Amino acid sequence: MELREFFHKDAIELELKSNDKDDLLKELIGLLKLDEKSEGILFKMLKRRENLGSTGIGRGIAIPHCRSLVVNRLRVAFARKSEGVDFKAIDDQPVHHFFLIVAPPLEVSNQYLPVLGKIAQFAKDPEVPKRLAVLRNRDEFLDLLEQKGV
Amino acid sequence: MHPQLEILLQIQDLKTQRRELAETERERQVEELEFHVNVEEAVQELDHKIAEMEAQLTPAIRNRYARIASGRGRAVVPVIQGICYGCFVSIPTALATDSARNDQIRHCDHCGRFLYVIG
Repeated sequence: MELREFFHKDAIELELKSNDKDDLLKELIGLLKLDEKSEGILFKMLKRRENLGSTGIGRGIAIPHCRSLVVNRLRVAFARKSEGVDFKAIDDQPVHHFFLIVAPPLEVSNQYLPVLGKIAQFAKDPEVPKRLAVLRNRDEFLDLLEQKGV
Repeated sequence: MHPQLEILLQIQDLKTQRRELAETERERQVEELEFHVNVEEAVQELDHKIAEMEAQLTPAIRNRYARIASGRGRAVVPVIQGICYGCFVSIPTALATDSARNDQIRHCDHCGRFLYVIG
């Protein structure tokens, strides 16, 4: 299983517009191209997950994630906000890079936790935040995943 | 979408989250180690939210929901490509293709679960 396979180019955004956590989550969800009602339900679920503890894992990276009935397969997105946003991250630093993961409650191939684990592993690589910060296009993001062997 | 169906979906999602945190060792480890979540507190908070959402259901729907949930576990299931993902039996084509399909509360004729049509 390679992370690259899960990222659709349309679900990669290198310049988010939002300036606060809620708007940013909505913009991130928008990358999945769901209907309006589903987006609303997903936003509430992700907010509730954030209330249990921020998914900002430090070094400028956050991994908002949840399972929800509104998707019928594992969906992922990546987005960047160059200036950073206060995401109540573990290290109290602004977050610049966001990986969204949403999966249905039941998956035939059970990819949710392995994908979450791989993204967390990728995020821990000391070189990754710097590399993400200088991405010029979506292909470079996909190439970085491949180079890092995740 | 029917407002009560929206509440049912949220309850089901919260219960999924609770089950994974409380009963799935791997999920619990990931949330504790990677995201520093206090699992006991999180489960309590989810229980509180679930109870709050269940109180918003009408008595008739709440009763039916409680009956199905206690007997069959998941009370709300998706319909994907015409299949009920609770019992994996085909549902009538008219329901699966109706553009206003989630505007009403519907049940699977076979397993009785609440249906949410995706796609």
